[in-house]
Amino acid sequence: MPDWKTYDKGDPMPEDYRKCLIHLMTFQADSEYAGAQRVAENMRFAPRPEEAYRLSKKVMEEMGHGYYVWALLQDLGVDVDARLQELVQHPDNPDPKKVNVINGFRKENWSQWFECWEDVALFSTVVTPAAVAFLGQYRECSYKPWARVNVRIHKEEHGHLAFGVWASKRCIEFGGEETRAFMQTRIPKFMRVGLGFYGRPSTGGGKSAMFDKYYEYGIKVKKPEELQAEYLELLESRLAEVGLKVPADIEADYDMRMGYEADEPATAAQ
Amino acid sequence: MMREEGVVELPNRLFADGRSILARFGYRHLENGADRDDWAAMWDLLRPDFATAEQPEIAPYDTLSEEAQSLARAYMRIRLAADRNLEACERLHVQLYADGIDKGRVEDYAVVRDAYEDSVEAFGAAREKLAARLSL
Repeated sequence: MPDWKTYDKGDPMPEDYRKCLIHLMTFQADSEYAGAQRVAENMRFAPRPEEAYRLSKKVMEEMGHGYYVWALLQDLGVDVDARLQELVQHPDNPDPKKVNVINGFRKENWSQWFECWEDVALFSTVVTPAAVAFLGQYRECSYKPWARVNVRIHKEEHGHLAFGVWASKRCIEFGGEETRAFMQTRIPKFMRVGLGFYGRPSTGGGKSAMFDKYYEYGIKVKKPEELQAEYLELLESRLAEVGLKVPADIEADYDMRMGYEADEPATAAQ
Repeated sequence: MMREEGVVELPNRLFADGRSILARFGYRHLENGADRDDWAAMWDLLRPDFATAEQPEIAPYDTLSEEAQSLARAYMRIRLAADRNLEACERLHVQLYADGIDKGRVEDYAVVRDAYEDSVEAFGAAREKLAARLSL
């Protein structure tokens, strides 16, 4: 791994580094909070009390992650209250000029994936490993306050993986082999999102225009290929715990995270 | 800020809708340290969670053994604590929205959220303990 220059709270930093850092941090914070709003909407699928309480717990955790990162962004001069106001006041359709939310957490995309509690359980089993791998890299990033807060967040995201496995096992416990077969057929739609979570490969014609810069600055510390390997390892082990298989020949859906790499940060609220 | 059934709300329905789902399983807002002991009514909404293929019907509270009633009350008390902890989380969300994000408030939120998480975990552990007793 390259040896990056690191920065701590209050350290002077190059303007371009600061701009890239704020872009990725706002994406994480805004998306954590917006993602929590989407998870809250899934409460309606909860079939039993413990399922409902555990999902509600996840909502509270994800919103907390947003607050952690927003609090750090204040140190960088970002008006984070305006971002919270936008997401609270317009949960269904926040203004992309005011907040940076990954496409997958926009209601019009998210709501297409969920039709039943089995989908909710599978999301945390199949997509969350991608978030664990992707956000996990920030624990070693060159901006130390963000690295430290992501140690805390990463630990909690692992808890969400456990929720997915628990919820999926319960689905099968109550629904039997018919439910297991039903869930197996629903894995591909979530796996496409998981595979696309960390962006296009770092080489080749489809590579992100911004990746090299983020990597050079040590804001992103792992290449998409490394993250994909981590994701697939996590995914395979979690699905095996549930008695499900990783389907073959699934193509990544990069559009669901579109904007994470874009060089057009939301500036209105900064 | 909206107020619904004694709860100060954010200007969207997400938390209220979430509580309405929990209400299917017995959640009810309680004012200022009030308590409830309508165990039989609460049990009626929770007992389907203990049904299994082998034991599809779970008995009403009044017909449980004394030991099972005691475990059921412990389980429901934990749920009541979780409800209060959830409300504490939601109050902090409203404060953060109304008064602004600052590190102190975020850490206050982390404390009440940890308490909520612990109570949800304890609720799950109590369910397993009670389920083991009911399956005997």
